[in-house]
Amino acid sequence: MKKLLYVLSLLIVASMVLAACGGGAPATQPPAATEPAATEPAATEPAATEDPAATEEPGATEAPAATPTLTPYPVAECEGGKVCIRWFVGLGTGTDAPQIETQEEVVADFNASQDRIQLILEIVPFNSARDVLSTQIASGAGPDIVGPVGWGGSNDFFGQWLDLTPYIESSGFDTSIFDPALVKFYQTEEGQVGLPFAVFPGAMYYVPALFDEAGLNYPPQVYGEKYVMPDGTERDWNWETITELARILTVDVNGNDATMPEFDPTQIVQVGYVPQWQSIQSIGTFYGGAAPIYSGDAKGSYEATIPNSWKEGFQWYYDGMWGDQPFIANGPLAGSPEFLAGNVFNSGKAAMGLTQTWYTCCLGEFRDAGNEFQLAIQPIGANGEVSGRVDADTFRIWKGTPNPNEAFEVLSYLITTGADKLLPVYGAMPAVPEKTQAFFDQKSQDYPFVTEESWNVFVQGLAYPDTPSSEQYHPNSIKANQRYATFLDLMNNTPDLDFEAEFQKLVDDLNTIYNE
Amino acid sequence: MLEELSNIRKVLPTVKSLRNLTPLARREARLGMLFLSPWIFGFLAFTLIPMLATLFFSFLDLKITDGILSAPDFVGLDNYKRLLQDPQVWSTGTTPGSLWVTIKFGLFALPIGIFLPLGIAVLMNNKHLKGQMFFRSLFYMPYIVPFVAAVFIWGGMLNPESGWINRTLIALGMSKESVPTWANDVNWVYPTYVIMGIWGIGNAMLIMLAGLQGVPTELYDAAKVDGANGWQTFWKVTFPMISPVIFYNLVLSIVGLFQYFLVPLVVNQGTGRPGGATYFYNLYLYRTFFTFQDMSYGSTLAWFLFAVILVVTIILFGTAKYWVYYAGESRS
Repeated sequence: MKKLLYVLSLLIVASMVLAACGGGAPATQPPAATEPAATEPAATEPAATEDPAATEEPGATEAPAATPTLTPYPVAECEGGKVCIRWFVGLGTGTDAPQIETQEEVVADFNASQDRIQLILEIVPFNSARDVLSTQIASGAGPDIVGPVGWGGSNDFFGQWLDLTPYIESSGFDTSIFDPALVKFYQTEEGQVGLPFAVFPGAMYYVPALFDEAGLNYPPQVYGEKYVMPDGTERDWNWETITELARILTVDVNGNDATMPEFDPTQIVQVGYVPQWQSIQSIGTFYGGAAPIYSGDAKGSYEATIPNSWKEGFQWYYDGMWGDQPFIANGPLAGSPEFLAGNVFNSGKAAMGLTQTWYTCCLGEFRDAGNEFQLAIQPIGANGEVSGRVDADTFRIWKGTPNPNEAFEVLSYLITTGADKLLPVYGAMPAVPEKTQAFFDQKSQDYPFVTEESWNVFVQGLAYPDTPSSEQYHPNSIKANQRYATFLDLMNNTPDLDFEAEFQKLVDDLNTIYNE
Repeated sequence: MLEELSNIRKVLPTVKSLRNLTPLARREARLGMLFLSPWIFGFLAFTLIPMLATLFFSFLDLKITDGILSAPDFVGLDNYKRLLQDPQVWSTGTTPGSLWVTIKFGLFALPIGIFLPLGIAVLMNNKHLKGQMFFRSLFYMPYIVPFVAAVFIWGGMLNPESGWINRTLIALGMSKESVPTWANDVNWVYPTYVIMGIWGIGNAMLIMLAGLQGVPTELYDAAKVDGANGWQTFWKVTFPMISPVIFYNLVLSIVGLFQYFLVPLVVNQGTGRPGGATYFYNLYLYRTFFTFQDMSYGSTLAWFLFAVILVVTIILFGTAKYWVYYAGESRS
């Protein structure tokens, strides 16, 4: 009896230990089937009270916070006699259950297509992917191919990517299938670190009904076209024109627009413009054009080099919120429930919103309320040229790979043949213009009112990537990005900001952060 | 306090007493340890070892952003030196340091956090109050609401543009320019946080109320016989008798204030705005550790916070003998 009690006690203790250590979720929890694709910014959609979210950009490659699977992905064994290439998925999209299935199909297709290389898929949950990859690289056992991954994710491993130039040349890969601007987009100080795959070009989303109401013509839909003012005069589609229109389209509770003397800036019910979920670097790029934001090549020599045109853009953005004739929703207004807590354009109370392809994910309330939008071209920046932006995902090759030729062969397959299956499950627009129709057909089902001309704006936008990307690498990037975000938050929420002093403080702080 | 410790010592088994245990008692002790082992394991694995690990980290240069790719260096006391010169911790010029921000808010919030629940508890304890149960439930009810949810709700109510509080003020005749911008105004942000905090005083009020109800009624009778008025009765009878409860709340409040984090993170997105007034120490610690992934310096900040809280708590316990009254205990 005593022995029985002792054994029972032991069993109870063992079960308590297991319960204490096991955590809340069962170890065999199935993959979350409802996890949205990473290209759907709903995953990163700011919380209800995050007022600065009005300008926060949900990165095209950011995967949802939810961990899709707690069961380690069963990695295939490397068969003898073949070169094994490991494909690491997890830094961006690709960890959702249907995506995994399709990726497995692509792996099977590739392996069946030849008998020299064995492609092995490795899926790591987004939450731990960064640490896992860091550890693998540190131990010299990095994967051959990583992706899909955007600029942000790949910048965390700056210096680890292979320059593809010699492999493009030796394999004869035809890069002319892409827009040359997009190929150049992946040229960094590390070399040609990627080739175009999934792209998210920018466009000016606008609400025709609000333009009609104000008696304004619609914005242009072909690059090079001018905007026709109500009096018939033609204007460049630049920030000056947009400011003028946005003021007319900003309306207070009494129906007065921002150009009228009786306009009450404290009772705005509709704004003319919103940089929807854009980072401050993105706002600077759209306004002033793409530019490197730091100089130097080693700690101690790094220096922030924010272009003057960006500074002007920041000032313009600030005045747009807090000036005498505001036309951009400031932080508290954008964060209010009426403006959908940061998803301002979706509220139907913004006439124009500059953002990327991925924003088509987040217009459910807008559409369900009976609203319609169309797309116009990105504006001409302060430098007199179109200052476009393209967010992008692609695959990278780790520069420590023992088999760079075979890795490049796989990469070529993934971005061409494999892309036909992969892009739809990633929810991304193909970088090859010939392949975009299927993407727009799908989008047209969601938004039947959007015209062909509008969708074509995205295709045209591929010719205007930001090189270097507004998500470019800069030293101590996480902290530096946070500092930029703090400055944006300050602008969004501070009516009487000493702009010059705060801008200088931003530069000083960045100089410190870069050299920490 | 010392007496309590010596009492604990008396009941703890000594090595000698363990040796003298009967086989049955020894078996019982073993079983007791066995049943305790899950907690001991949990404490070691999830508290003590991580704590010691952070202490170790604080002497390294471990930064996940570049540290995992290369082995961290041992840097001795460099992180502690950096902490002593860190403008984010200590105020420089017009920029408030996070430690000062925390203390400043504490000086503002602490008296309210202690005396308001006490005042409400005194009212709730008043025998002339009708519907005592109703009011007790009413004041306690907000405490049931998860604090994060409450902060979100308050954030909406206090939104300078669309919050109904400002709209009501404007409807009452205040101009738009003169209504507070609450969490966006450096002068209003602490009152805003305190208002949100008051929402959750139900628990402190209940503890105070329990303390008040534990005061022997004969003391009040004696005070009445001696001719004491209400104020004198409160200060000479009630306050000393509930001083241990106040002391308990005070210690918890101070520890909580040094760890103040949630409200500025949710309401002001942890950015420190307006003007760095909400960049609390714990927020800085969190961002250093988890956002910037600077594990070593984050650990250093955590240990410094631990030391500060420890010192303040020791000082508080030191003052206790002058104002905290434990009935039935001698003061030494």
